[in-house]
Amino acid sequence: MTNRWIVLMVVLPMLTGALSVPVVRRMRLSRAIGLVGMSATLAASLLLLWQTVAGSEGRGALVSQMGQWDAPMGITLVFDTFSGMLMVAAAFVFLCGYLASFGELKPTLERRYFHPLLHFMHAGVNLSFLTGDLFNLFVAFEIMLMASYGLVCLAAGRKRLVHAYKYVVLNLLASALFVTSAGLVYGMFGTLNLADLMRIVGTAVDYGDALPDGFVAVSVLLLTVFGLKAAVFPLFFWLPDAYPTLPTPLLAIFGGVLTKVGIYVLARTFPPIFMVGEAGDVVGPMLLFAAVVTMLLAGVMAVAYRKLRGGLCMMVLVGVGFSVAGVAVGGNVGLSGVAFYASQSMIAAALAFVLCGKLEAHTGADHLDDPHFGGLWREVPWLAVFSFVAFVTLVGLPPLSGFYGKLWIIQAALGGDETSNPNTWVGFAALLTGAITLLAVLRWWTSAFWLGSEHGRTSRDNARPGSRSLSAALGLLLAASITLGLFAQPFLTLAQNAGDRLASPAGYIEAVLNPIDFETPRLANTLSHAQPHPPKPEAHH
Amino acid sequence: MIMVLAICVAVTFGVSAYLLLGRELKGVAMGVFLLGHAANMAILAASGSPKLDGGPNMKRPPISDTTFDAQLRDGTIADPLSVMVDPVPQALILTAIVIGFAVMGFLLSLLVVTSRNVGTLTLDELAQVHEDEPDEDIDAISRDVWKKRRNESGGTP
Repeated sequence: MTNRWIVLMVVLPMLTGALSVPVVRRMRLSRAIGLVGMSATLAASLLLLWQTVAGSEGRGALVSQMGQWDAPMGITLVFDTFSGMLMVAAAFVFLCGYLASFGELKPTLERRYFHPLLHFMHAGVNLSFLTGDLFNLFVAFEIMLMASYGLVCLAAGRKRLVHAYKYVVLNLLASALFVTSAGLVYGMFGTLNLADLMRIVGTAVDYGDALPDGFVAVSVLLLTVFGLKAAVFPLFFWLPDAYPTLPTPLLAIFGGVLTKVGIYVLARTFPPIFMVGEAGDVVGPMLLFAAVVTMLLAGVMAVAYRKLRGGLCMMVLVGVGFSVAGVAVGGNVGLSGVAFYASQSMIAAALAFVLCGKLEAHTGADHLDDPHFGGLWREVPWLAVFSFVAFVTLVGLPPLSGFYGKLWIIQAALGGDETSNPNTWVGFAALLTGAITLLAVLRWWTSAFWLGSEHGRTSRDNARPGSRSLSAALGLLLAASITLGLFAQPFLTLAQNAGDRLASPAGYIEAVLNPIDFETPRLANTLSHAQPHPPKPEAHH
Repeated sequence: MIMVLAICVAVTFGVSAYLLLGRELKGVAMGVFLLGHAANMAILAASGSPKLDGGPNMKRPPISDTTFDAQLRDGTIADPLSVMVDPVPQALILTAIVIGFAVMGFLLSLLVVTSRNVGTLTLDELAQVHEDEPDEDIDAISRDVWKKRRNESGGTP
């Protein structure tokens, strides 16, 4: 269904960013503009998400063709349930992180184009979720990454500069590979539109046609690119280096949102396009292996970490492992699990990072073996309770939101659903990871709050009370996280809708390509002409 | 033609991989830039031959004259891509070049800031920066350091 308004999801953050450029030296004004812009984006995303599911059947995907150039020719934006859930969660995390930044960032840093960069990054993130076109996805990634490079290096010290290179150079490498593979995909299929690619690949499989030579190679290239963005196993080492050096509010936003963009793209493109046919035989096991190693390795490392920030980054990686396992296992149940898990873990991760910032502010230390930590429950009982809730949400124990997504993913892996490709040992690895991460967070929690420190608490010389804005962000995130856990039913319905639409791409294809009366050209004849769609004559007016 | 382009792409990718694996950040930056060029050439190579079938003559550009345009519009030409080159890969390359420029500017300025504040661009020396040192805001101090160094070295830092 056509809906012109979905472009607002990109336009609003862009506009906010552009407006805050000229007033960048006036902190209060840029904060006011930013708050209004971010709240408007959140409101717009909620309204649009409601639009996709309103009515008895739901309207499915909202589609907008830019400049009225119909689907495979022009740029298509698609807002469906899955991207909508992620966009709502992202807008919420951005708003909370932004709120937390008011009291946490140094004024020098804030005046140095912090506000515009953050808004532009939001625009890039939203465009990645919206776009229905492989090359436009590259552009969206670049908008997001350019802004994030700026934020990583903003007022950086020597340490952060050195770590920033890993982040920047690796992402540039991935971008170059992405452009190359997008060009190769165009060379093979003559289209870059995701819905069109789903249609062509799906038809080829239905008719038993061979997919073009090199399709497997392109799939593996794209797996490398998206795997690096999502931070899966062999490509995750930049994350624990670059993230912990960031200031708390940025850490909440980066750790919460950015890896989920990679997961979104994997879930959107791999099951219907790049994991089909022979490519599935190669990419499927790779994805499963990467997911399992990511979660186990990150879980074990989380136990070893004594720095809370580093440990929480490891928990983000565990979440990435779960989501990628869900993508690899696939099927209605698995992909519903991915939809729910990815969107709730944005909020859960941001909550944990904000809490970590609060704790660091309170104790003036960031190392759990530091004498300032230990026995904190007597001093700040509410912080102990909140931390327990946040940590348990991260691990995914029943009453809280992390549980449901994990449950579905493990169910699909253990073969509770005929549409997925079950893999028992993935399910058991996920269960084992759950146990390991529980051990990790309990270790952190006990050494921070429960066990008294042996040498007695020393005076906290560099402790700050922690800003009110950080507490406000903490409250918002905590409320959202608990709501997601205790009143999960409507969100689970949403996630089921999203998973169904992801697992069977027919609805997506129809929504995007509907305006065109295509007589499905089969891949075999299209390839001999090297171009499946002769340009539509009317489109040239 | 495709073969020549393919060899160019391979050589460029190879050189950029060599540079990226070096221990010098300037070389790494050059490797990143070359990688972008290699990617652009790969897109060009993937977009099909610029020659007409079975002849030495080249295909026509997609936007050339009004008669060809009119023929395209009313559908006289059944398979336009057999007589003209595909415009889409060129548009992709154009976009990628523009993005590459921005990235190049950012990376070079990052190099400048690093060399000013850390005093080196070699990876082995950058690795010496201690993990536990406080991450102080260098932008606040860098101007003074810059001035001091300029005075010490007699005008050229």
